[in-house]
Amino acid sequence: MSDPVILEIIKGFVIEAQDLTQRITRAVLRLERPGPGAATAAAYDDLCRALHTLKGAAGTLGFTDLSDAAHRIEDAMAVRRERLEPLPAALADAIFQSLDVLNLRAEAYAQERTDGLPDLAGPLERLQAALDGMPAPRAEAGSTAGPEAPAPAAPKEAAAADPGEWRVGQASVRQVIREVERLRELQLRLGERRRDMDRGLSILSRLGMLAETAEARAVLMSVSRTLADDTDEAASIVEALEEGVREITTMPVRTVLEPLHRAVRDLCRQLGKEARLSVVGAELSLDRRMLEALRGPLVHLVRNAVDHGVEMPEAREAAGKHREGSVVIRLEQVGNLAFIEVSDDGRGLDEVRIGEVAEAQGVLGAGEARGLTPHQLHQLAFRPHFSTRPEVSETSGRGVGLDVVQSEVHALGGRVEAHSSTGQGTRFTLTVPMELGSSPVLIVRCGEHSLGLPTMAVEQVRPARQGELRITRAGMHLVVNEQLLPLLDLGSLLGIRQPTAPHPGTPVAVVQAQGRRVGVSFDEVMGDRDLVIRPLPRELRSLDAYQGEAIYVHGELILVLRPDWLVQGGASRGRVAVQARRALVVDDSLTARAMHRSMLEAHGFTVHTAGNGSQALEQLRHSTYDVMIADIGMEGMDGYQLTRAVRGAQDTRQMPVVLVSAQDGADERQAGIEAGADGFLSKKECAAGRLLQEVQAVIGRREGAPVKKESV
Amino acid sequence: MSSRKTRAPRELTADEREILEIRRERLRKRPEAAAGDEAVFWVAEFPVGDERYAVPLQRLRGSVPLRLVTPVPLSPPHVVGILRFQGQVLAALSLAVLLGGRGWRQDPAVLLVLEGPSGDLVALDCEQVPQPLAVPSSVVEAARGRGLETVAVVSLPGARQLNLIDLDRLLARVSEVGRV
Repeated sequence: MSDPVILEIIKGFVIEAQDLTQRITRAVLRLERPGPGAATAAAYDDLCRALHTLKGAAGTLGFTDLSDAAHRIEDAMAVRRERLEPLPAALADAIFQSLDVLNLRAEAYAQERTDGLPDLAGPLERLQAALDGMPAPRAEAGSTAGPEAPAPAAPKEAAAADPGEWRVGQASVRQVIREVERLRELQLRLGERRRDMDRGLSILSRLGMLAETAEARAVLMSVSRTLADDTDEAASIVEALEEGVREITTMPVRTVLEPLHRAVRDLCRQLGKEARLSVVGAELSLDRRMLEALRGPLVHLVRNAVDHGVEMPEAREAAGKHREGSVVIRLEQVGNLAFIEVSDDGRGLDEVRIGEVAEAQGVLGAGEARGLTPHQLHQLAFRPHFSTRPEVSETSGRGVGLDVVQSEVHALGGRVEAHSSTGQGTRFTLTVPMELGSSPVLIVRCGEHSLGLPTMAVEQVRPARQGELRITRAGMHLVVNEQLLPLLDLGSLLGIRQPTAPHPGTPVAVVQAQGRRVGVSFDEVMGDRDLVIRPLPRELRSLDAYQGEAIYVHGELILVLRPDWLVQGGASRGRVAVQARRALVVDDSLTARAMHRSMLEAHGFTVHTAGNGSQALEQLRHSTYDVMIADIGMEGMDGYQLTRAVRGAQDTRQMPVVLVSAQDGADERQAGIEAGADGFLSKKECAAGRLLQEVQAVIGRREGAPVKKESV
Repeated sequence: MSSRKTRAPRELTADEREILEIRRERLRKRPEAAAGDEAVFWVAEFPVGDERYAVPLQRLRGSVPLRLVTPVPLSPPHVVGILRFQGQVLAALSLAVLLGGRGWRQDPAVLLVLEGPSGDLVALDCEQVPQPLAVPSSVVEAARGRGLETVAVVSLPGARQLNLIDLDRLLARVSEVGRV
């Protein structure tokens, strides 16, 4: 009897092979029908990814017969994929038969049977014959490999339920998880109510009249204490429920990682290399479905590390390294996020070769690779059909592996990144959200935005002190423990305002990630909470700045920032054109702001926005703009009042102002001009050319006019 | 004593989905039967500036007031923000920006929640709550046959024109813009 853990792993592989077979079948069926080029390419991509994953998973368990079969099918697809040709029925038949036998053999392995296995040779011969355009050899009588013999592998029936166990569908479990999430929101709200109550009590105490309010305060204090108890009880219920659901929905990560040790050993023997796999965090249990989905990507990454990363022993020794390479998988769960890192101490990604291949494939223009940062070059390795290997081998060269990793991780709402250092190694980091758990998040305000910073990345938060702020040629710095850290303005990183030098008292967080530390300044600390971080909607997942969104105490959404994006100084900093004209758009309508921003950015303006008059004045206090476009009908301070305030301030009295109104009356125009506006447009007129014309005209008029020197 | 049921919408079973699908098909067929001699295509019609636009009614999942939208710094200009709708978080997109910067009469106050091609929900802003309108299917087919644009111009009786939005093409364009 084999090791029960290994048997469990093989059973997992059988289910995975059936899932992959279904994916391959769907793709083959799509490819049998001629379709548009893009659809054919997508179907081939899907087919090859699934085959590659199947090959890797079988190889990892040492089922060379199965991985060879997947490899043969993969080979058979190569030329047709390149030419985007549909699959002839004979070839599709042969693929299906091969997969059927492959699945039957996998099931036999799971039952520890090695005798009387269905033969793979027959279907593979038929596959070759179909490729060569020859009549297919007849299946031998009684052979399970014949077209009529094996029925397609049916999804495995679950074992008969133990009378002492419950069987619960995934949908029901997900429903429970959702309810737990709602209970957690309720717990947050209860906590908030208690804080409100305490604030009210403190106000009452400050008002004096202690004798008159004594009874009311006693009642309120009692309610506050009860609320505190209820909050604690809700927290404890949430914890207990989560623990219960976790037991049902998680499995030990070692069931996925265990086979990888053998995969590394076998691959090393095949390639003549020496490497050892170490795992940090193998004791964790993570979401079962997530681990199943990550099984393939992990296989790809580990095989990649050995095949592409780790050098031959002699080359390692010559480079001063130990002849045995090191491949490390590190797993960590922080809140409802899983971090998985696969690293090696090999040669690192070949940035020059990546650039050459990208240019040769037309991904980059000629010479464009030289202008990319190493990080940008590393991310190119995830593109479909991208391989730096000139020839296809059994282990690599098809350009499928990293593409599979990225698509699987994206399907889980996660992200994957590559970091490499030439001669020192490569590190792939996968961040994947899970159904359960919450993450501690520091909530800060920057302008009108409330944003979250994962607390695990925040070393400290404190007000900036005069003696700690330094201005150097490289910009603003913060002295922390005698170390000079770059100091970044969060508003500027997010493109919502021009860089603001923090003054003493401005809150600053010291953020660390990827071994780097920076100071980040913002407007206000709003508190810290345990929040469930979820991926952003699909339309926004390409934004590097955010880890996801979370629901805050009153149901409002908070954007949670990525610490590694912050320590890199924010991608936005380099993008701002130095010579760009700057416009401030003030409108209480989000759509109107989006509309104006779109028109102006399309014509080279850098646009900042404000949701009302007072926010606009705050922006104008520390930033200069070439033009302001303001709505008239805003709540609080309207556009006329804002224009008058702008004209009344010394720094902004010459700034061109265009007022925009939903009304198109002569009275509004006249009132705007009297308030000091340079131009007026109705929202109806705000078609692209009209707004831009008006903005350019008012800027031109102001620049043409002699600027009055104001006395100080 | 009053009790209030506040359970979150639970996930539907396969059987329930099938029943709902059958009911949806029946409802979808009903207007055609009522129209008698001519098949009709139901749309949700709304103004954008001086023009009338429409989306297929069968893709409309709800219309909600445009508030409690969280703006997303660094997002492309066509993204108004994100919002919660029935337990999901959706992206709210500016239709006027996606249509290429048309003017508008009043600030959009409504979000249309629509089902995208892959079943994901997305919200588009518009100035008013849309009205249902039956358009002869033949006219819609003729308009769609004229090209592969995001908007098909449908000619209605009385020299009225309706811009019928092809949601799949519009959202495909959003993905392209998002990747840039």
